[in-house]
Amino acid sequence: MQDLFLIVEIGGQRAVLPAAFVESVVEIEDIAPVPCAPSHVFGLFALRSRVLTVIDTIAALGGERSSPGEKQAVIVTVDGHLYGMLVDNVDDVVAIDGAPTEPRALLSDGWARYSTGVLEHDGEPMLLIDVPAMIAGPLDLAA
Amino acid sequence: MDDLLGDFIAETRETLEALAGEIVAWEAAPDDRSRLDAIFRFVHTVKGSCGFLDLPRLEKLSHAAEDVLADVRADRRKPDSKLVSAVLAMIDRIAEVTDAIETGHALSDADDHLLIAALQPGVAHPEPDAAPQADMSAAAASGTPRTVSRTIRLPVDLLDRMMAGVSDMVLARNELARRLRDGGAESTTEVAFERLSSCIAEMRDAITRTRMARVENLFTALPRMVRDVSAELSKQVQLEIDGGDVELDREMIEMIRDPLTHIVRNAIDHGIEPPEQRVLAGKPMAGRLHVSARQVGNQILIEVIDDGRGIDADRLVQKAIANGVMSQERAATLTWDRKLELIFEPGLSTAQAVTAISGRGVGMDVVRANVERIGGLVDIDSKPGQGLRLTMRVPLTLTIIPALTISSGGQHFAIPRSAIDEIVRTGGDAVQMGKLGGADIVFIRGTRLPVVSLSKVIGVAGQGEPANLVVLKLSGGARYALAVEAVHDHEELVVKPAAPIVMACGIYGGTTLPDNSRPMLLLDVSGIAEKAGVRRDVKAPEAVVEDVEETQQEDGAVPVLLFRDLDGIERGVPLALVERIEDCFTASVSTTAGRMRLNIDGRLVPLVSCGAPIEDIKLRVLRMHDGNEELAYAIDSVIDIVPVTIELQRSAVPGPVAGVMLVEERPIEFIDAFWLFAQGLGAEPKRTGGPVCLLADDDPWTRQVLAPLVESAGYQVVYDDDERAITADLVIVPDGAAVEPVSLGVVVRLRPTAEERGASPDSLWRYDREGLTAELRRHWYGGRA
Repeated sequence: MQDLFLIVEIGGQRAVLPAAFVESVVEIEDIAPVPCAPSHVFGLFALRSRVLTVIDTIAALGGERSSPGEKQAVIVTVDGHLYGMLVDNVDDVVAIDGAPTEPRALLSDGWARYSTGVLEHDGEPMLLIDVPAMIAGPLDLAA
Repeated sequence: MDDLLGDFIAETRETLEALAGEIVAWEAAPDDRSRLDAIFRFVHTVKGSCGFLDLPRLEKLSHAAEDVLADVRADRRKPDSKLVSAVLAMIDRIAEVTDAIETGHALSDADDHLLIAALQPGVAHPEPDAAPQADMSAAAASGTPRTVSRTIRLPVDLLDRMMAGVSDMVLARNELARRLRDGGAESTTEVAFERLSSCIAEMRDAITRTRMARVENLFTALPRMVRDVSAELSKQVQLEIDGGDVELDREMIEMIRDPLTHIVRNAIDHGIEPPEQRVLAGKPMAGRLHVSARQVGNQILIEVIDDGRGIDADRLVQKAIANGVMSQERAATLTWDRKLELIFEPGLSTAQAVTAISGRGVGMDVVRANVERIGGLVDIDSKPGQGLRLTMRVPLTLTIIPALTISSGGQHFAIPRSAIDEIVRTGGDAVQMGKLGGADIVFIRGTRLPVVSLSKVIGVAGQGEPANLVVLKLSGGARYALAVEAVHDHEELVVKPAAPIVMACGIYGGTTLPDNSRPMLLLDVSGIAEKAGVRRDVKAPEAVVEDVEETQQEDGAVPVLLFRDLDGIERGVPLALVERIEDCFTASVSTTAGRMRLNIDGRLVPLVSCGAPIEDIKLRVLRMHDGNEELAYAIDSVIDIVPVTIELQRSAVPGPVAGVMLVEERPIEFIDAFWLFAQGLGAEPKRTGGPVCLLADDDPWTRQVLAPLVESAGYQVVYDDDERAITADLVIVPDGAAVEPVSLGVVVRLRPTAEERGASPDSLWRYDREGLTAELRRHWYGGRA
């Protein structure tokens, strides 16, 4: 089994996203906030006349809310809705063989919730991000 | 019905085309299971649709084929070539009949039975007979030109994509328009742009229309449903349908299908009475159910009116108290409308028994929730004993809505214009902010509304005082004022659903991209009310009265409503007494028994005025409430509400005016509320207590003419069959009748003629009002003693 993955860096941690979700990577700024929304919802952004919901990945992982300003975001489609997931850096699209394995290490709460396993590329282990879970955010915990 | 039939024909023909290959393949390999299943499904679908569309011939044909195919599938029969031909002949015939239905040509059904017989096992001979017949009719059918259908079927998501594309085009045009404005384009470019603009607008209209369907789609199922439900309940219902040609967004039609079904079922089950009860109530045996749709602005009104028993609001209240939804004290303060609103509370149903049709306690709350979800409202209007009217108001389309843009805390939001009642600025004469137990309230022209600060709800720091109040209406007429910092513009906005995590906040209805291409959120008016804790019903009037008394102790001033009376004089009344100010038609004023009454929602409320004649068609009244009784006071117009420390120059005689004082340098007469209520209600005859008067004669004249006169003199009227007859204080008999002994022995005789000739000496002429009244009064004191 060989699938394509996008390597990104979130909060200093390198991780991979299944490329099937990813539509594009864009620079975004001037994001309209959404009051009352959960803290990991950074706001709304218009991309080519479509409104996308920007997800603050750092906040989702339990960190501080990101500061306003220009950001890099990976655009993903989940259930027909567009989301922009903020990332520090986008590295490369790579093909990785094999199924994800258990991390066998005690992950921080955030990563434990939003990763579905570990994939190795060039000898480097990277967490596989569960995109729908990260978008839903910590809300699930309360439910 | 035509739409449905058209759909059926298109669908059948489509499947037939797709099936042609399958049929040939099945013929070659009759054992192929998947082909068999495909053909079976087709025949089955046709049969099902025929039953629904009332096409008995097609139904018979497809039913016969289905039976045979079912046998084959269950391995009860082997598919031999004879059977295959018979089934194919049947499918050909279905195609012919379908064509015939569309073109309206008659097709002989003489050999249908042969085709059906050919399907039976062991029937050998009709088969060769049937085949050529079928061929012949097929040839005949192909001879008639097949009309080319001018309609095509499209998947809805393709339409959605077109709609989205056009919406994007509108946005792109807006962006371009802005750049052209900023850049100062040449006039030739502008002309070209104008043309592009109008093309886009036209296209948007056309595509919006593709999403439209006639409300008829929603109504076609009603006659059958009404028939079934009324038959089940042994009721007679006459259904009238109106306005089926009104167009509405397809999606919207689907969204209101369930609520409408529910309302109609309810109307038959709870509203319309059984025939015998209707006859007793003097109504026609068959109940009338009127379902109509009409377009009002950019809203569609769907009304369901029945002439049944209506909703007994008091029983709702009892039930609400029994279920612990509200306390007895609170219930006592509710107005009729508020009581009716209880029908929308979860778990309340006035049905005494649960029937299969409705009454399970899930219902109107769900109906309202569903309608509100699509930006609609449900209003209810009940006349007990006369019927019920339920109105659903839904927006024309979900995608493009007119909206008002506002901002708070530096952020822009959109509010659907359909939810907006009015916009007022604080600080004007007619708008007064106040506090009520820590909550903000506002008086707008005398109406008290809760105030919700948008910046507080969304938790952002406000930039300065919110200077604007947007009065928003919820279902059932409840309103609240949303305080915002700025009101910007009216815009047509393309609204799209927001991501689930954003919708989960409960205060947004969707997202939209205005011209500046910065996303904006559409506020959900009822969601905000809920979040801010605004109750749907107004606060109990008592609470206000108490509050007013508190403020009175503090600084001695109470809010006073100043108004211009019908005679042009400025008068005032303490605001606490005024429940609301209402406009009504003069036609609903009736003068009965010497005083005016106003018909408000089917009840007669005493109407008091200063005496000046009411001349306009419309009438403005102050609705007042003293805790038990209510009355209406007719006025000309409201001037203002001002805090006043009441120090009256009392008037010398009792009358409508308690006294006069200076308010803002003007003399204002104060209404004497005590006198008003005494006027409005005091002379209502009380039928309990008082001495008993026996009317010995029991003819219509006595009952209709004499009895009211005696009652108005303070007596309880009884007749011979009453057990109190023997203890009656007074007996009125026709002159010449035998008199039974009465405890007090007081007997008044009435003679039919004015002359005393030939009558008892102490008798009275029966139209001698003064004599009779004097006699009654004299004995009234006797009876009391």
